[in-house]
Amino acid sequence: MKWYIIIALAALAISVAMLLIQLIKLISAGKPKDLSKGSGNISAGVAYSYTKAMSPMEKESAYLHLPTYAAGMIYHAGIFASLLLFLLFISSLFEIPQGISIIAGAILVISGLCGLAILFKRFINAGLRSLSGADDYISNFLTTLAIFATAAFLFFEQAEVLYYMIVSVLLLWIPLGKTRHLLYFFFARYHLGYFFGKRGTWPPKSLK
Amino acid sequence: MERNIKKKGLDVLAGKIDNKLLTNLNSCVRCGLCADSCMFFKALNEPKYIPARKVALVSSVYRRYFTLSGKIAPVLVNAKELDDHAAEEMVDLLFGACTMCGRCVKHCSIGVDIPYVVRKGREMLAAMDMVPDTLQATVDSALTTGNNMGIPEEEFTGTIQWMEEELIDEMGDEKARIPLNEMHAEIFYTLNPREPKFFPLSISAMAKIFYAANENWTLSSKFYDVTNYGFFNGNRAEAGKIAGNLYDEIHRLRGKRMVLGECGHGSRANRWDGPNYLGKEYDFDMITAVELISGYIKQGRIRLDKSLNKEVVTIHDPCNLVRNGGLLEEIRHIVSASCDSYTEMAPFGNENFCCGGGGGLLAMSEYNDRRIKVGEIKAEQIRKTGAKVVVTPCHNCVDQLSQLNHTFKLGVKIKTIAELVADALVIRKNN
Ligand code: SF4
Ligand code: SF4
Repeated sequence: MKWYIIIALAALAISVAMLLIQLIKLISAGKPKDLSKGSGNISAGVAYSYTKAMSPMEKESAYLHLPTYAAGMIYHAGIFASLLLFLLFISSLFEIPQGISIIAGAILVISGLCGLAILFKRFINAGLRSLSGADDYISNFLTTLAIFATAAFLFFEQAEVLYYMIVSVLLLWIPLGKTRHLLYFFFARYHLGYFFGKRGTWPPKSLK
Repeated sequence: MERNIKKKGLDVLAGKIDNKLLTNLNSCVRCGLCADSCMFFKALNEPKYIPARKVALVSSVYRRYFTLSGKIAPVLVNAKELDDHAAEEMVDLLFGACTMCGRCVKHCSIGVDIPYVVRKGREMLAAMDMVPDTLQATVDSALTTGNNMGIPEEEFTGTIQWMEEELIDEMGDEKARIPLNEMHAEIFYTLNPREPKFFPLSISAMAKIFYAANENWTLSSKFYDVTNYGFFNGNRAEAGKIAGNLYDEIHRLRGKRMVLGECGHGSRANRWDGPNYLGKEYDFDMITAVELISGYIKQGRIRLDKSLNKEVVTIHDPCNLVRNGGLLEEIRHIVSASCDSYTEMAPFGNENFCCGGGGGLLAMSEYNDRRIKVGEIKAEQIRKTGAKVVVTPCHNCVDQLSQLNHTFKLGVKIKTIAELVADALVIRKNN
């Protein structure tokens, strides 16, 4: 096995292990005890939280900021596609046909450009800058770089070593930086659904 | 900062923290997209008021002291020391620039429960003895006298007797009563102390509704205070003691059902947090005045004549009763049954903007200017409706709205739900 694939595999193992530790810590911490009597439907609230509440029509963070929201969606799709491709490459399950490689690479370039745009916004927007620390720049930069590296590897085989190195660094960073929201996001939605569901706020009632 | 003070603050985050807190401390991606959902940022337009900033004040300290990466490379992972500067910023932003209204929560791109983190931050400050004196004085008053305004029992009893005489006169019926300390009543009713102190007519409005519904109810002369500023000062032990006053009193009087008077945070603190403060499920039923009145209308226990309220009404949704309490429909059910026409603010309901007086802000006079400035959003909402009456089932909101009415010359009347309903009541003879 090539040395850089061994490194990538090690990075993947470390990343998964660190995320698993955080997951175990989360689960073992337990839910806060809530002894109040509910007046709504918790399951319906949780289901709503994972579905309709995520719709761009429901969130000001989306409908008041459509360009950023759209860029964020494309960016996240690119990240997931890149991670999926990484698993495909490393497992050598099958060869990606050249035509598909070029199309996927082109889409990833668009996704990477969205990542760059978001990074650029963080630099130029005073409010965002004031919120930001090294983690924000590192997370955004590394993820964008990994998307571009995936595209480059899809286009040129010669980019292989660089690709595996960049993805390895990203994998190691994911559990440390704000990128770990990939795990916490699902718990956040659950707690939100529980809270609003129990109180009868979610799913919203239609007014006659 | 002295080490023992810092330790007290950090101890709040140490040990066994639940996964809701752990989640909310680790979820924010600092996209900043919550900014426009918060009235503080909208009104004051400074980056420090972005909700994520309030989360970061607590989460960065958590990372610094309780994560390996934060201990080894704090700069890389946005981990920060808890020092004097950080603590002062926490006081200013967590007490003085967040009403814990929760509007940002549903609009957050991730779903971070921002006020939940703010409350944790307030708990840290309470442990460090850094609660603003003005807010603490309100809590102390409730702890020492049984009500947050320090009203002596004789004064309260006198006010109630006076209101009862007025009620008897108005109803022309000796049986029209405002009962005090009666045993085994169906309903143990609670009040915001602002009512006996400044708005006794809202007590008689509710008494009229009880009379019309032929209800068997009582007030306590000692423990009637529905408010709980311990919900705001971050001291759970104090919040528990205050919640315990009502819990013990309904048991002493052997009341069947507790009805929480028109107070948003008081309803929330008793209904949703009370059992958790006291560590036990309540063995009696507890509902808000809004649910009670809505029930009376549905069951035909009271009859209303809408035409008695001719002016156009708009509703201010108290955050703790609607977004954080699920009473969107019930409030509208009552209002639509009580007046000729009502119109909604934009936005309204679960999307409403806080009046600006929540989170204990009304008690913290040092933030008065900020509170009024932030309230301008609500004032403009009201103005745009063209309504002549603003109705809201929360005495704290009534107070803030009255100040906004005066400051921004809105020329509206501010009423509680009970006042609106009482004005529309059709009292049956021989009730
Ligand atoms: S919208 Fe949510 S995730 Fe984004 S900065 Fe605000 S609190 Fe954080
Ligand atoms: S809870 Fe309300 S006041 Fe506090 S940050 Fe969120 S929107 Fe602003």
